[in-house]
Amino acid sequence: MNTVIRKLIAKELHVNRLLVGIGVVAGIGSTVVAAFGPVGFNIGALTWLSTIIGMGVILSLYGIMNERKEHALEFVMSLPLSVAGYVRAKMIGLVLCFFITWSVSVAAALVLVFAKDSVPDGIAPYLLLLSVFMLANFGVVLGGTMLARNEGTTTAIVIITNMGVTLFMFIVAPMRGIREFMWATAPVWNSTFWAVLGCELAVLVISLTLPLLIVARRRDFL
Amino acid sequence: MTDKHIEMHGVRKSYRFFTLDDLSLDLAPGEVMGFVGPNGAGKSTTLRLAMGLVAPDAGEIRVLGQPMPAASAIAKREVGYVSADMHLLPNATLGWHMDFVKSIYPGWDAGYAAALVKRFNLRPGQNARSLSLGERIKAVLLLTLARRPRLLVLDEPTTGLDPVARHEVITEFMDVLHDDSRSILFSSHNTVDVERISDRITFIDRGRLVESSNKEDFLDRWRRIQLQLPEGAALPALPDLVSRNQDGRFVTLVTDQFSDGFAALLAPHVREVQRMSLEEIFVANVMRHREVRGS
Repeated sequence: MNTVIRKLIAKELHVNRLLVGIGVVAGIGSTVVAAFGPVGFNIGALTWLSTIIGMGVILSLYGIMNERKEHALEFVMSLPLSVAGYVRAKMIGLVLCFFITWSVSVAAALVLVFAKDSVPDGIAPYLLLLSVFMLANFGVVLGGTMLARNEGTTTAIVIITNMGVTLFMFIVAPMRGIREFMWATAPVWNSTFWAVLGCELAVLVISLTLPLLIVARRRDFL
Repeated sequence: MTDKHIEMHGVRKSYRFFTLDDLSLDLAPGEVMGFVGPNGAGKSTTLRLAMGLVAPDAGEIRVLGQPMPAASAIAKREVGYVSADMHLLPNATLGWHMDFVKSIYPGWDAGYAAALVKRFNLRPGQNARSLSLGERIKAVLLLTLARRPRLLVLDEPTTGLDPVARHEVITEFMDVLHDDSRSILFSSHNTVDVERISDRITFIDRGRLVESSNKEDFLDRWRRIQLQLPEGAALPALPDLVSRNQDGRFVTLVTDQFSDGFAALLAPHVREVQRMSLEEIFVANVMRHREVRGS
């Protein structure tokens, strides 16, 4: 990885530092709120979900679409950088920004699950699957925004991926291998868990790789 | 291996409603080329092609000896590109941008950057989002000039600037020219700015190169000649006429091949021979070009 790409990755962390900080505080805060009774749990869980989803959408729209719209992309592309280098730096930088909020929020939620007696430890695999789904969801939004040439397409991607979270809950939660062990006293890492996780990771890898293959080969970048 | 800073041969780039066709031009070290054309003529497209930001459909482009866009990352180490539309990153200060660019370019001239901050009356602590148009363009120029690039590619850098800011910016360009190894490709539709700093001028219109020549050559060759013909007299056959307007006995001719011989042909009838400004030459040239192309 050359110096310019490294500097651009650091640039993403710098320009998004406030947003990432807010995300980390909101992720931990919502988990704390979730520890206080059923009402607190509902409010905390909803805030936790919204924080992770919102972070992904804001990072993609702000980091890619706005840079294009506000003509800051021309400044970045005036640097000694190829289109492929730009795409790589942007994807890595924004994934890192998201990953900070995501990993802290998920870690806080897992601590809540294992530390709180009223929450069964068996829910941990489902929580992890939901978390990785949101990571993959971010990958789709990020990759889609990078590939999209207009705001309409990006908006459609955001709406569809947001609906995806609800669909995930409807489809994965009732799965036999998940539902049956959700209330268990210890987590069960069965084949259903690994199969769903595998699918999520595949989506993540594809969504993050496609822009590198497609955008980097476009003949007109600006 | 060529020593030209920019070489374009037979470049073609098609969009849905616009085609840049058969463009060939070159820029030698130490040269300043003013690239002049009306809005939508293809100036920005040409400059983006030179920067490797868009790929040509046909033809060959080399910048500082590097093929574009394939080796754009290498070429851009020594190229400074500024466009009037260019904005800095909105969530960072000018000072942060200076540190950022400095960390990428080993040749960053901190002393010159500090001098430009002062000369342009900029504040490093100011957030990029709060810069006015003039400040923004000056900030981008500062970040570009302090890299000490061998080649400057400037896409209408003075557009929208007030006369004082334009003067400050043009003065900095002229400063760059003290170094013979540097060159500038400078697009504009402001012919006054172009005339001030360019030593070569290229006219472009509707995606086609109209003419490219030395500035002095343009100014020497082009003349507007006013004649008063005697009653019933006709004009002799004249070569190299760009335009001819007649109102009774009064005739106004424009030529792009003025010489003593040309003047001698008309001598008894000449009332006045006027030098033409670059803007007048540009307009006359473009209009002739459109006529020849039948549009």
